[in-house]
Amino acid sequence: MRRWILSATLLVGLCAAASAQQVEVEEFTLDNGMTFLLVPRQDQPNIIAAGWLAKVGSVDERPGITGLAHFFEHMMFKGTTTIGTRDAEADKRFTQRQQEVHEQLMALQHGVQFERWKRGEIDDPWNPRNDTPEMAKLRAELKSLMDEHGAEIVTNEFDRVYTTMGASGMNAFTSYDLTFYFINVPSNRFELWAWMESDRLYDSVFREFYTERDVVHEERRLRVEATPTGRLDEQFDAMFWVSSPYKWPVIGWPSDITSYTREQAEEFYATYYVPNNLVGVVVGDFEPSEVREQITRYFSRLKPGPTPPPVVTSEMPSLAEKRMYGECDCQPQIRIRYHAVPFMHADSYPLSVMSEILNGRTGRLYRAMVEGDEVASSASAGVDARKYAGAFEFRAETKGDATPQDIEKVWARVLAELQENPVTDRELQKVKNQIAADSYRRLQSNFFLLVQLGYFEGLGSWEELNEGPRRLQEVTAEDIQRVANTYFDRSNRSVAVYTRREGTTIDPMLAAIPAEMRPMVQQQLAQIAAVNDPAALREGLNRMRSMPASQLPPEYAPVMEYIAKKIEERIAELEDAE
Amino acid sequence: MRRNHACLTIIAAAALAFANAGAHAGNLPERPENIEFRPLDFQPPNAADHRHETRSGVPVYLAPSREFPLVQINFSFRGGAYLEPADKAGLASMTGAMIRRGGTVSVSADELDERFDFLAANVSTGSGDVMSSASLNTLTWNLDESLELFIDMLRRPGFEQEKVRIYRNESIERMRQRNDNPGPILGREWSGLVNGWDHYSSRVPTRNSLESITTDDMRAFHAKVFQPGNLIITVTGDFEVDDMLARIEHALEGWAHGERMPEPPAPTATLTPGVYHVEMDIPQGSVAIGMRGVDRDHPDYFPLLVMNDILGGGGFTSRITNRVRSDEGLAYGAGSSMSMPAYFPGVFRAGFQSKNSTVALAIKIVKEEIEKIRNQPVTEEERTTSINSFIETFPRSFESRQGVVSIFASDEWTGRDPDYWQTYRENIRAVTVEDIQRVAREHLRPEEMAILVVGKWEEIAPGDHTGRASMQDFFAGQRNRIPLRDPLTMQPIAE
Repeated sequence: MRRWILSATLLVGLCAAASAQQVEVEEFTLDNGMTFLLVPRQDQPNIIAAGWLAKVGSVDERPGITGLAHFFEHMMFKGTTTIGTRDAEADKRFTQRQQEVHEQLMALQHGVQFERWKRGEIDDPWNPRNDTPEMAKLRAELKSLMDEHGAEIVTNEFDRVYTTMGASGMNAFTSYDLTFYFINVPSNRFELWAWMESDRLYDSVFREFYTERDVVHEERRLRVEATPTGRLDEQFDAMFWVSSPYKWPVIGWPSDITSYTREQAEEFYATYYVPNNLVGVVVGDFEPSEVREQITRYFSRLKPGPTPPPVVTSEMPSLAEKRMYGECDCQPQIRIRYHAVPFMHADSYPLSVMSEILNGRTGRLYRAMVEGDEVASSASAGVDARKYAGAFEFRAETKGDATPQDIEKVWARVLAELQENPVTDRELQKVKNQIAADSYRRLQSNFFLLVQLGYFEGLGSWEELNEGPRRLQEVTAEDIQRVANTYFDRSNRSVAVYTRREGTTIDPMLAAIPAEMRPMVQQQLAQIAAVNDPAALREGLNRMRSMPASQLPPEYAPVMEYIAKKIEERIAELEDAE
Repeated sequence: MRRNHACLTIIAAAALAFANAGAHAGNLPERPENIEFRPLDFQPPNAADHRHETRSGVPVYLAPSREFPLVQINFSFRGGAYLEPADKAGLASMTGAMIRRGGTVSVSADELDERFDFLAANVSTGSGDVMSSASLNTLTWNLDESLELFIDMLRRPGFEQEKVRIYRNESIERMRQRNDNPGPILGREWSGLVNGWDHYSSRVPTRNSLESITTDDMRAFHAKVFQPGNLIITVTGDFEVDDMLARIEHALEGWAHGERMPEPPAPTATLTPGVYHVEMDIPQGSVAIGMRGVDRDHPDYFPLLVMNDILGGGGFTSRITNRVRSDEGLAYGAGSSMSMPAYFPGVFRAGFQSKNSTVALAIKIVKEEIEKIRNQPVTEEERTTSINSFIETFPRSFESRQGVVSIFASDEWTGRDPDYWQTYRENIRAVTVEDIQRVAREHLRPEEMAILVVGKWEEIAPGDHTGRASMQDFFAGQRNRIPLRDPLTMQPIAE
């Protein structure tokens, strides 16, 4: 114990120094309004991580075009009038023709096909097997136009140019609030990045529009529909947010993914992909004056546009607790989510520190519910601070026979403790020590630094990278107690409880029984379930047990054992109820 | 504290005082190929420049850097799941985890966790299939205390009973989730098919095997594997070389050297070609197609790297991705890999996830691409793209100091030719279009491949509405049904 106190004193003194870690960023803006953040570093030689972000995400969408920001991110890799085609003129003609056919198809889809569906004549209006003859014809025509067009397209030339010249790790992501495109290039080839990125911002061509939406459907299946909790999580989000556009998933609703038109995509591009809504970020081994000159040379050709509209719909204050109960092929679990504050809000810092006091193997959640009451196999808390609003979420999975409701009771206790008493000095200092150390750790990789700068800038300001650790160090025990008493009312929360879908865990005892005997076993079980008198069951059990084993064929042994177990369970159940 | 880092900044930004006002485009090159780049002179680092040895002969690779006040120390030991008795599956991973979680002989588990957390030290230990490791990441000014605790934990782990019980229960809860996602089912069954269920790489812990593991089993495994006769150390970050070597000497003092662990055994199973299927009620099928490959020392190593890159390893510049994803929109992820490990022949594996109705069509396309790369030479453009990519991205492997020393440690463990990195680019450059076709013909033999599908058969079997492919097209429509396994016993579940 003595040594703890000693090192505590040492660390208190040092953390002030530690929190002084600053990233020096050279920031400048072109005449067209595009801003750039440069961080030259020599410690990792030969490589530059570069990217740019568009301040647009799913929050900027509306019903009908949900997922368009993400779909758009996919379209940005399809090339330009220079990259990706053998014949830019033919390209235009094909694109135009495909658009016409798609519009006709969608008119039928949302017209006659929806009518048939609404009347119950077909089960799924989107399944091509249910197409009307006219739709099938248009679908076939679209497919053959796409195939013909394919011959003119240089597939993935955008990737090929970069790859041939040694770039790697090219990708992009879309979130609720921003879209970020990034890559690593050898340090002698920064100009390649400037060429390629300014070219696709200057004149992107949205070719392969209709194939790519199928790719996005597959991405949706992969990330959402074929995962244990994906579809329920989406419903939970849609329940949690009442009016905010954070309601819908970044990837979009499937009906919208199928329906976007090129016109909508072009309008979206013209609105949000103007240089005054974009920020470039460059981190790595480069000479700032050279990079700056090339940026100016290439990106100045982009024409500025009107400032994109802000999101005006705010989240309505939560007036009542909302709960959902879902079943899935998943570990039983609970999520409790509270409306909290947006990015860089003064209270986001105490809320973050509070979540760290809860997390980790020496945190309060692990101590209280993974150990302690042993109701959870894992438990964590986190702050989700977005551009326009935020949330605080607690989540945990069950252990053994415990239920999500058991976990909820312990959470209530842990929360009450935070509300009633300030956290201890030692806990607070421990978390601050970790924040200080992590403020160095997170700057080590060029690429990770790039992503953080872009992400923070997209949500509000890159300066959070330097500001955040400082403000976290200033959080006091009183601050934490105050926020614990501000955001955690029942009426301010939504709760999701998932339990395992019946029949998906197979009782190993049942598995040992040959398949042909199972119907008989099922029948027996149904009869047992119908008996409400424990004495009658006990009698039956005794009768079974008194049968000499030699009278039974050997394959019946597991059956008898299984039925006996089920009878015992039923007896216990009835006696518990009394 | 040995140095003050208060004024450490990650750059000394000589910000340009004047803006490049209005400097306008002028003529931009018409295509990116027209840009002239200055050459980049890169020579890979030499292992010998980083290698040291303790007095007792433990190899130590050091790569200091003063950029951040952090020190990262990794201990890597040979040995993992392949050393477990067959009925104690999970012994390696449990021992690996419990070294960190079970305290030391003199410090309780709770106190150890508390002290590491208060020091803001990230400490982890673990045992995988082949290697075991322990790592410490600490602030420079906490190095003394962190390292002392770390070594105490590593040399004298406590394996506290209560923590073992908690860990075992957590593991059993994770086990229950084994059938919830298609990915783990596909991985598990694929390994069973290709490597055989008797090979360590396919062995899976069960509830029984975990419950049979005693503290004595863990102590014995720890004593055998986690010892300096079986160790390579790497250190990166903020330190002086001599000082760090002295610390390591001190840390290892009096720690007896045991035997070096043997190499892991090769699988003996033979893959039976055919279509295999595990039923799962999901909208999207997951697929693996492949066969046994070769090991790292095979003379076709470099041509195989390039061939697979063109076929399906190179992402958006590879054929499988281009056709399955970009042309047809059948998958989000589609590609292939050619593992060529150090100890025994690896596996060629192509795969994707596609909605149930287009699983057959995507399999057909993958098979067409395998045939095509066997039967026709790749284009010179494809070869150039692939080769340039290998050569130009080569420096990235050595981007971080941590990357450099871990490459060298791994090379020493596996006995890689010391010239490998120095001659890597020449060897890649020498691969010809003819080599690529030859190795494709030799190593991709479609009649010897298995196809494993996890998904909803009723929707997968008939194929999609266009009638371009169905599961009848492969192995005469014969399907080998693999039952789902009970997550806790791994016994097949009869249906």
